[in-house]
Amino acid sequence: MSRTLNVVRMQLINRNTYIWIPLLVLAGAFVLSLAVYALIPGNEPKVGGAAQAPLWYFLVVGTQALTLTFPFSQAMSVTRREFFLGTYLTAAITAGILSIVFVIGGLIEQATDGWGMNGWMFYSDEIWQGGPLAALAFYFLLAMTFFSVGFWSATIYKRFGAFWLTATLVAIGVILVVAMWLIGRTDSWGAVFAWFAGQTSLSLALWSILVIAVLAGTSFIPLRRAVP
Amino acid sequence: MTSVIEVQNLTKRYRDTLAVDDVSFTIEKDVIYGLLGRNGAGKTTVMSMLTAQNFATSGQIRVFGEHPYENARVLQRMCFVRESQKYPDDALPKHAFGTARLFFPNWDQELADRLIDELQLPLKKTIKKLSRGQLSAVGVIIGLASRAEITFFDEPYLGLDAVARQIFYDRLIEDYTEHPRTVILSSHLIDEVSNLLERVLVIDRGRIVMDEETDAVRDRAANIVGDSAAVDAFVAGREVIHRESLGRVSSVTVLGTLTPEDRQRLVTAGLDAAPVSLQQLIVRTTQHAAESAAAPIDEGALR
Repeated sequence: MSRTLNVVRMQLINRNTYIWIPLLVLAGAFVLSLAVYALIPGNEPKVGGAAQAPLWYFLVVGTQALTLTFPFSQAMSVTRREFFLGTYLTAAITAGILSIVFVIGGLIEQATDGWGMNGWMFYSDEIWQGGPLAALAFYFLLAMTFFSVGFWSATIYKRFGAFWLTATLVAIGVILVVAMWLIGRTDSWGAVFAWFAGQTSLSLALWSILVIAVLAGTSFIPLRRAVP
Repeated sequence: MTSVIEVQNLTKRYRDTLAVDDVSFTIEKDVIYGLLGRNGAGKTTVMSMLTAQNFATSGQIRVFGEHPYENARVLQRMCFVRESQKYPDDALPKHAFGTARLFFPNWDQELADRLIDELQLPLKKTIKKLSRGQLSAVGVIIGLASRAEITFFDEPYLGLDAVARQIFYDRLIEDYTEHPRTVILSSHLIDEVSNLLERVLVIDRGRIVMDEETDAVRDRAANIVGDSAAVDAFVAGREVIHRESLGRVSSVTVLGTLTPEDRQRLVTAGLDAAPVSLQQLIVRTTQHAAESAAAPIDEGALR
């Protein structure tokens, strides 16, 4: 267990990847959004998607966690399992901190009525309909999903190379198109939309646990055979 | 003697090349080994498989009696920093050493600090900006200060200047004397490390062609130098592995330990017997092994 925790400390050597760049993205998105809100006249609600930028950035974090640190972990005599668990733990810690920042931001927005100018970045009715804890879970799981996609791609690339990564992505694309065709053939689009409409942000977030689990599982298997 | 590594019929095949070809050997505890061979002979591949960084196509590996793959108990007793080791992007040398300290139970920070000072390693530059020699120094420091029971050094001297290389060799011997452990040093600069080595494993085209004590290897051959006619008379009937001539003087390398009678004959014939350097001997024997099947020895040709 302590070796897995040490992997967290090893990952955090990449301060740019884990700390400074996400903070910069967050602060930049925040300041720029506020500036833009201030430029807009009138008091209609102003909603920006910029806050999602740090969440997207977890895609990069997931990629770099593998490419930058896996070869070094091998020289440190770390097993692949310890590396995998420690790296996911690192992602969970940083995603957790980021989601807490988001929830605090959302609470401030609610208290100050959108920074006093009806501008909203962290808070949205859809995400917060289940309360602050549901929003926390939503942000956390979204960041972890992005991280898992990045880590998964990097692992497939490391183990099988660029050709098979691309081939896998194309294959997933084909599966999605076939699924859409099937939905069309069976006249089920109505049912699909109804299902999505029936979901809350929290239940969607909970579905993402399934996605994360599948991605994590299909990353771990090739990682077990990856060579630095 | 107890063995710490046992390898049986180890083979590594990449698509169409055979990097390691059905190799078997054992590594004894607390001995300094030289894993010698040309570039591409399979040295790094063997070390990677022993430390479970790479996978064997077939064959058996036992380290401390267990399989090393995904085995933290075994892995933390080994240290292998490869010659082309990659480090985290933002890492400074102190981060690399700080991490090594977390993972290697016998890590000696004092030794690390001393080596940092002696090898003049800049601590404020990121590792990716270090020169080749400084990068080698990072690997050497991790290898020595980790004091792992089995330590691999993969061409540790690349880019290091003569002074830094001597510091490495001196510290290795010093620290080995105080804290005996198994060291496997891969090198193609054979003579420079030959004084450190107790045993040599020579690998050529993926096969082990020599697995012997260094002293025994040195004793295996001698250079006979002197008047060409007298040299020819002396070496008649012996196995010649190399011959060089300049005017009427010849230098011929013969296999076999020289007996006291041989030495007496040399004195009477006015010939000198010079020791053969480990490098020469290994170069000659590997060349010889490769050629002996078909062609006769290539007289006088310089490698």
